[in-house]
Amino acid sequence: MAIPLTYNLRNLQVRATSTVMTALSIGLVVAVFIGVTALARGLEEAFVTTGVPLNLVVLRQGSQVETSSVVRRDSLQVIKYLPGVAVDSVGLPLASPELIVLLNLPKRDGGQGNVIVRGLSAKGFELRPQVRLIRGRFVRPGLREILVGRAVAERFQDAEPGAALRFGRSHWKVVGVFDAGRTAFDSEIWSDESELAQDFDRADYSSVLLRAESGPGLHAIQQRISEDRRLHLKALTEQAYYAEQTKAAAPIKVLGSFMAVVMAIGASFAVMNTMYAAVARRSREIGVLRVLGFRPGSILLSFLTESLLLSLVGGVVGCLLALPIHGLSTGTTNFRTFSEVSFAFRITPDLLLGGLAFSLVMGGLGGFLPARLASRQPMIETLREG
Amino acid sequence: MTYASFIWTNIARNPRRTILTIVSIGLSLFVLSTLMTVLTELNREPEGEDTHLRLVVRRATSLADRLPEAYAAKLARVPSVRLVHALTWFGGIYIDEGNFFANFACDPDTLFAMFPENRIPPEQLKAFQAERIAAVAGRKLVERFKWRLGDRITLQGTIYPVDLEFVLRGIYTGTDETAFFFHRAYLEEALGRPGKVGTFWLKAASAGDIPRIMDAVDTLFKNSDAETKTETERAFQLGFISMLGNVKTLIASISSVVVFTILLVTANTMAMSIRERAREIAILKTLGFGRRRLLGVLMGESAVIALTGGVLGCMGARLFFSVVDVWRYTQGLFPIFIVEPSTILLGIGLSVLIGLASAALPAIRVSRLTIAEALRRVG
Repeated sequence: MAIPLTYNLRNLQVRATSTVMTALSIGLVVAVFIGVTALARGLEEAFVTTGVPLNLVVLRQGSQVETSSVVRRDSLQVIKYLPGVAVDSVGLPLASPELIVLLNLPKRDGGQGNVIVRGLSAKGFELRPQVRLIRGRFVRPGLREILVGRAVAERFQDAEPGAALRFGRSHWKVVGVFDAGRTAFDSEIWSDESELAQDFDRADYSSVLLRAESGPGLHAIQQRISEDRRLHLKALTEQAYYAEQTKAAAPIKVLGSFMAVVMAIGASFAVMNTMYAAVARRSREIGVLRVLGFRPGSILLSFLTESLLLSLVGGVVGCLLALPIHGLSTGTTNFRTFSEVSFAFRITPDLLLGGLAFSLVMGGLGGFLPARLASRQPMIETLREG
Repeated sequence: MTYASFIWTNIARNPRRTILTIVSIGLSLFVLSTLMTVLTELNREPEGEDTHLRLVVRRATSLADRLPEAYAAKLARVPSVRLVHALTWFGGIYIDEGNFFANFACDPDTLFAMFPENRIPPEQLKAFQAERIAAVAGRKLVERFKWRLGDRITLQGTIYPVDLEFVLRGIYTGTDETAFFFHRAYLEEALGRPGKVGTFWLKAASAGDIPRIMDAVDTLFKNSDAETKTETERAFQLGFISMLGNVKTLIASISSVVVFTILLVTANTMAMSIRERAREIAILKTLGFGRRRLLGVLMGESAVIALTGGVLGCMGARLFFSVVDVWRYTQGLFPIFIVEPSTILLGIGLSVLIGLASAALPAIRVSRLTIAEALRRVG
């Protein structure tokens, strides 16, 4: 027969100071775990959600990112008309040749940051349905005008409609702000491709973005491009291209999980201390329970439950402590493209559940040995004591 | 009975609790030392007698853009510039991406003059300089891939559309032993001689000349097609660190959480053991022990426990990171990762303070109890 749960709850209440301190130390470990994971997730999400399923990014063979890729102008004519490339309502292929320039610009909080400037045409917008203009208007061809991503507008000096940025050989007027739904494009500046090419004297494109008609068409295009020896190009799905860049989050994850594990061991030792003290103080009670007919198994279960309850309280506290950082935005550098990415801490329900599970693991690890000790105490001697 | 032995008896009476507390504190201090070391390593100043004389010249627009190689001659003519060295980040991949290490195209004749903190046997240097496809690598890098002199090493270009094959001709030792250097002329030839350089490194005649050189260089190329930005080696390095984002805030906030956790764990242990001893303490009082002495004994006990945990945690971190190669696990972010003695001292000092603080509250409470009350208390 199981010992009622109220027995455990009352016990936790009686030793309130000890309960609070132990639960809080578990809570802090859980909060660190959730915080660091939320950081890594936010960074990953900025990349993962960037791709559109049927889009392909065409790059130079051997280059991993657009910033170091070159696509010759005559190659565009070949890839644009490959079978399987989707066309728009008037029959033009959905392909956007793009030029990438990297810039060092002053940030609002002082210091400098590297930003990607992407030159593209109207097709580039069509291929990226997640991008919406939230302020101002689109750039007009023939003018040195730019649009800035939401994150760029927040973080960089003069990146707002009406102001102008000086780079290359010109002053570029900011005419609008776009929102790319927290994807990597939010950290970019967009302009007209031919204007940018002229200003920076670039003869070639950096990459080409294509839309495939269908899944099989997509594979056919990929194969045709990689097999064409004249091109020296490769085509990655846009999703795979950005997923690859989530490796930027790897060092954070390594550091975070290392810390979480070490601290969790420390915290489960704290639980063990508390539970051992509880068992020691209640040895007579345990004897009485045994006399009343509770089996050693029920006693083990009861103490383990108490420890799990204690750690669960800690887990809940940890979740509550971590919640305020949700949505907080920050930035780091994607060292592959050498440009800044802005991202926000993301706490999702499953991460909170993960935190609770993590606290239960600590409670289980810390509570098992004391609970076993309690169940094995010889009945008569414990009653005779004190 | 001396105080020391009295404290010791108290510590030893519940060995399980003491050990659990010590290990728990130790683990937290291990994490804390790791975090502090992350900060120290990110801010590590370049070592060697010449570092305060070095300047880095790069394209003003961005590090990804390159400078014309013809700038070398112009830079050499700037007054007080003693040495000019062209260094280009190649960013090549060895076999696969997981093997990341820094690799540069350099001028073999001036590489070791520019970075005298790196040392190489003279015959190896000669062999490196004599052969166009020769390369040198740091000791740690060579050990990682078990290379030997004469080995052929191919790096696959990611920034540049070429794959280059090298012969390892030298192994250097120094502070950062994780980089790979080869002839710039070889890269230039493979690319069809574009005549571009990533960065120029300058050495000033004296530290006093540095501001003047910085001004002179940037003015010299002002309004040219490739404007420059000249900064000290330290500033150049800090620029990279600031690119990582707000690491300081992140680490400071995690560290304070860790410190608070240690405080809670120690305070809980002390509160438990003091509460259990309320009667004993009353007896000590009857025997004539003053309040101050009692406080001293209890806080001393807690300080010893925390100190032991602190020493174990901090020294453990030093030992751990002298064995584990952090450079490999962080994709080259930390070529050096040493828990410095100052970090260890800080950690240990902090743990003693935490020990004292966490015993203070329960100790004061129990020492204020009147004898009768304490004796009446149920354990």
